[in-house]
Amino acid sequence: MTEFERDPIIDRVRDTLRGAPKATPDQRAVARVLQTVWESPRPSVWQRWLGAWRLPAVSALGAGAVAVAALALGFVSRGAVSPEGEAAPMAATSAPTGEYPVAQPAAYDAESVRVPTQFVFENAGAAQVALVGDFNEWKEDATPLVKLPNGLWTTTVPLSPGRHVYAFLVDGTLLVADPRAPKAGDEDYGREGSVVMVFDR
Amino acid sequence: MNRIRLTVVALATASAFAAPALGAQGVAVSGISDSRARVAVEREIAQAASRGLPVRPLIAKAQEGVTKRATGERIRVAVAAQARRLEQAREHLAPSPSEAEIVAGADALAVGVPAPMLRQVRAAYPAGQSVAMPLDVLTELVARRVPPDRALEQITDLMRRGATPTQIAGLGASVQADVAAGLTPDAALEVRARGVMSLLPAPTAASALAPRGTRP
Repeated sequence: MTEFERDPIIDRVRDTLRGAPKATPDQRAVARVLQTVWESPRPSVWQRWLGAWRLPAVSALGAGAVAVAALALGFVSRGAVSPEGEAAPMAATSAPTGEYPVAQPAAYDAESVRVPTQFVFENAGAAQVALVGDFNEWKEDATPLVKLPNGLWTTTVPLSPGRHVYAFLVDGTLLVADPRAPKAGDEDYGREGSVVMVFDR
Repeated sequence: MNRIRLTVVALATASAFAAPALGAQGVAVSGISDSRARVAVEREIAQAASRGLPVRPLIAKAQEGVTKRATGERIRVAVAAQARRLEQAREHLAPSPSEAEIVAGADALAVGVPAPMLRQVRAAYPAGQSVAMPLDVLTELVARRVPPDRALEQITDLMRRGATPTQIAGLGASVQADVAAGLTPDAALEVRARGVMSLLPAPTAASALAPRGTRP
């Protein structure tokens, strides 16, 4: 008997849970959780570094003054630091102004569903393998594969239904198509990839 | 008190350098070592954004070039081409395509689907229902060497008969598997479309009169 098991509240919770019916995992809920985890931004090195600091307490008025001063200094210096040619493209992140508006998808529709999709790659000699594709914006460090004892590499990622093009990046340098999947041509860069058709069964 | 002053100075200094970087965040493309090429790529993206095109697929196209070790100039050309396809897709999927539909339309154009066919796909589903999946399947079929006219006809027939995006996606995946197993793309499409069609209700008078895709 441990200290926790003797606690009457814990005992009541345990008895209640024991009497409850067993839950069946909802595949859609699992997919949504995976999607949320997938889309949540990973803290950068800077965020982790700043999180480790403990700043001294400042009053609300003081914090406000600091914020105003910092913003003013930032905007003034921006004009001084940035060359004109580089500043122009930054302004283009404003809302679309074209003739045809880009509609926002509904809160839950076919386009917002994510389907867990497994990728498998065989290369026992590789030191590291990453998955790159249109779903992770071809970022080399976004989706590393895990090596299994049998020499296979694998990862499962939540993908939106539709056609996705991808490849495997072996040891950070060699880009190879998936030998298990249909090939995808590449008019733009001339490097063949692979295709996966994802759909919500 | 000294520590507070120190913090204020540190924050102000940090913001002075951070503000330009934050402003650039929307179109920043990392990984292109040639700074002139990088600025040119970012300018292409910014110009596309100012025309109301989605930025994310353009950044992805640039990043794809970085991962594929393409030169800065080649990345710029690829991003510009992608922007043109996105714009063309948006125009043919009017009046209010979602980003997913625009990207799917651009992908279809990239594999050789004629632009007017996007309009025909859009018309085959009720307004407001996404055509991203049918466009993806059309792209995949054409990429597997099914003639575009033939692929369009089968897909829009299924859409008008009420096939769901999932059923149409299933068709695409089945054709993919059949082609991998050695069937010709045309034959695979024929047999799989027949299979999906058999699950759908009989055509109504209205759907029978609806405009059809161009026959080969």
